[in-house]
Amino acid sequence: MVPIQIENLFFTYPSRTTPTLNRINIDISAGDFVLLTGPTGCGKTTLLRTINGLIPHASAGTQSGSVTVGNQNVTTQPMSKTCQQVGFLFQNPEYQLFCTTVADEIAFGLENIGVPADAISDRITLALDQVGLKGFEDRLITELSSGEKQRVALASIISMRPKVLLLDEPTSHLDPKATHNILAIVKNLNTEMGVTVVFTTHRVKQVEELCNRVVLMDKGQICLDLPKSSAFQDTKPFLRLGVETPNSDSVKEKQITNFAPSTELGNQLLSLTNIRYRYPESKMDAVKQLNCHISEGEIIAIMGANGSGKTTLLNLMGGLLRPTGGEVSIVGRDSKKLKLKHLAGTVGIVFQNPDLLLQAATVKDEITFGPKNLKLTIEDIQNRVEDAIDVFMLTEFADDVPHSLSRGQRQRTAVAAAASLKPKIFLLDEPTTGQDLQNLHRLMDELCQAIREGNRTLIFATHHRELTEQYADRILLLNNGKLIFDGKPATAFSDKAL
Amino acid sequence: MVSTMHELDPRTKIVIMMLCGCLVILLDSPISLLACFLFSLLLIAVSSPTLKQIRLLLLFLLFTTWGLLYSQAIFYNAFPRTILFTLVPSDFPVLGEWTGGISVYREGIFHGVVQSLRFNTTLVIGCYIIWTTQSRELLVALMKLRIPGTLAFMVTTALRFIPIIVEETTAVIRSQRLRGFRYLRLNIFASINGIINSFRPILAGIIRQATHLGESVESRGFSTESTSERTPSMASGMRSMDYCIVTVFCFSLIAIVGLKLIYFCYANGIYYASWLRQVYTFTREIL
Repeated sequence: MVPIQIENLFFTYPSRTTPTLNRINIDISAGDFVLLTGPTGCGKTTLLRTINGLIPHASAGTQSGSVTVGNQNVTTQPMSKTCQQVGFLFQNPEYQLFCTTVADEIAFGLENIGVPADAISDRITLALDQVGLKGFEDRLITELSSGEKQRVALASIISMRPKVLLLDEPTSHLDPKATHNILAIVKNLNTEMGVTVVFTTHRVKQVEELCNRVVLMDKGQICLDLPKSSAFQDTKPFLRLGVETPNSDSVKEKQITNFAPSTELGNQLLSLTNIRYRYPESKMDAVKQLNCHISEGEIIAIMGANGSGKTTLLNLMGGLLRPTGGEVSIVGRDSKKLKLKHLAGTVGIVFQNPDLLLQAATVKDEITFGPKNLKLTIEDIQNRVEDAIDVFMLTEFADDVPHSLSRGQRQRTAVAAAASLKPKIFLLDEPTTGQDLQNLHRLMDELCQAIREGNRTLIFATHHRELTEQYADRILLLNNGKLIFDGKPATAFSDKAL
Repeated sequence: MVSTMHELDPRTKIVIMMLCGCLVILLDSPISLLACFLFSLLLIAVSSPTLKQIRLLLLFLLFTTWGLLYSQAIFYNAFPRTILFTLVPSDFPVLGEWTGGISVYREGIFHGVVQSLRFNTTLVIGCYIIWTTQSRELLVALMKLRIPGTLAFMVTTALRFIPIIVEETTAVIRSQRLRGFRYLRLNIFASINGIINSFRPILAGIIRQATHLGESVESRGFSTESTSERTPSMASGMRSMDYCIVTVFCFSLIAIVGLKLIYFCYANGIYYASWLRQVYTFTREIL
């Protein structure tokens, strides 16, 4: 068993003037399951990176203080040694897998640390068994779902038999089922194998049951460190920072009163008739025989498991993809006959990765880009840009480079840039990824208010049930590309069969 | 499907590519260059490519061949040259007067064929390596060939990111269009500026992803400084087949260099021997 000791730890990234970690002192006992939470940018990930040695070995910056894992100073110990004690599971499964097949991915780490050749295949089999992917050895990584990829990443770490497991928001890209699978595996590693776990997340409710200790961070400091039994007795510190608590219904009620569903619907904006879509080279349809009609003023959530076709459907609704069969009518026009330039100002989209939209040198230029392309009058452009900056609270970053902002700020910039075009149909893909509760609600509040005021339509894809309950008037539930429910969120969530 | 060509040690594949690269530079005759190109196609054929890979390769070959043939055919400036047909006569207003006429030359087409055979041979072998080698095997092979670890990792991740770059570029272009941007406009500076700006999210994304991937592999014990502690468990090592292939290729290259040298000495009046006349003929006609 390996304890973790951190004493007087300070860390400052090269481009920053204030430390990201500011006098961190914490002892984590062997076998602990620590839930580490806090608002976006509070230093959670940086703290994890100091524990596994990525800081300072793979990251520049100024560090002082000591970090020891099992009495070994990870600051001076080579990472090839530290990784045999400390495993690190990253947030996005897409960016941490290196090999082509599942077996190779797991073998990669084992080979790096010199595990004897004859022991490697046994370890692969065992690790896959532990993550519930028995028999997946020869599967191609590209053919796996996000949940399966994250389990492969976890298998590649636990095959190295670390005593400490660091998980950096590992479920933020996953649907509820995949999340449940990951949590069950981590719980088993902690309780059965005695692995010490440090789990960062914004979704406190998901992890709260598994942990025995809760650590809350803000502005690079630990502001609360208590056993689980007493951590949530006073929820004020969590709510003050906009962090979810096991019982955070108060936020939900507030939002419902603010954003009551519209009762009168306007003209039909989108009509999907018998549409299906198949990606090139794919053997099956990603969207199957789907029918739905969407009117002005609706706020709609698209829900479903990873790979159920949510993003494909959003892209079809926005004219970014053309259906293989059936017809998508956008504001009365067949999408097959429309070019994207014809949809500018009618459809706005923000991808799950908002960075793909950020191309300008400053936040202000980013927001100006769309209205300027529409050749609006200078006065109109100025009004729209000022409104968007104001509504999405970007005033203090207006002259900053978009890519230098935090994830939450980047997403707000992308949403503001799309919103400045005042599109009739606003499409938002997975707004929850990497966002804390406060940022998420701020974004959705601002957007929904703008949508309601302009009698426009918002369609967002999400795994987040509470977000749907709070903001959507209607839910489209997908399963393997098929629309299995179209109606009120309350009805969907009360139906256990769904 | 895993073929014998997949199972070759990645170092063998890299050596094949390097030696073939040297060969196609040394060789001048279309016959021998065609033989090299056919050999590269044979490598691909026996490595059981998928239909998608075949289509992609054909697309690459079509574009490069067309580009080289077209450019060489009309821009060939050596003499003698034979005009096959004229695209723009020299007395055509402005363009004709300015360029002196644009014609398609027979020698240019021939030169284009030679150049495209050279280029396509290395292109096909490059595809063969990428399609038959695991990322981690390629990484370790490059490091074993004394390529600096950081560079080896960059090369390997660059190859891994190609599909992601294609996907993200498509998303960026679509989002720009949806925001009213037109890539082709009368104002060429605005178009160029827009295209340059499109690279910003793509580059930022690549840097971010490469950083994450680098951290992920370092967190699993990979070091760019040393491979000595690694277990070569699943990656195939150099076997007799590898040694045979590398030996054959090395001897072929040495033999061709030798023949070329002998011919060079003859052609430049440095050395002549009558008993080497068949060698001179062979080198001139075939190599």
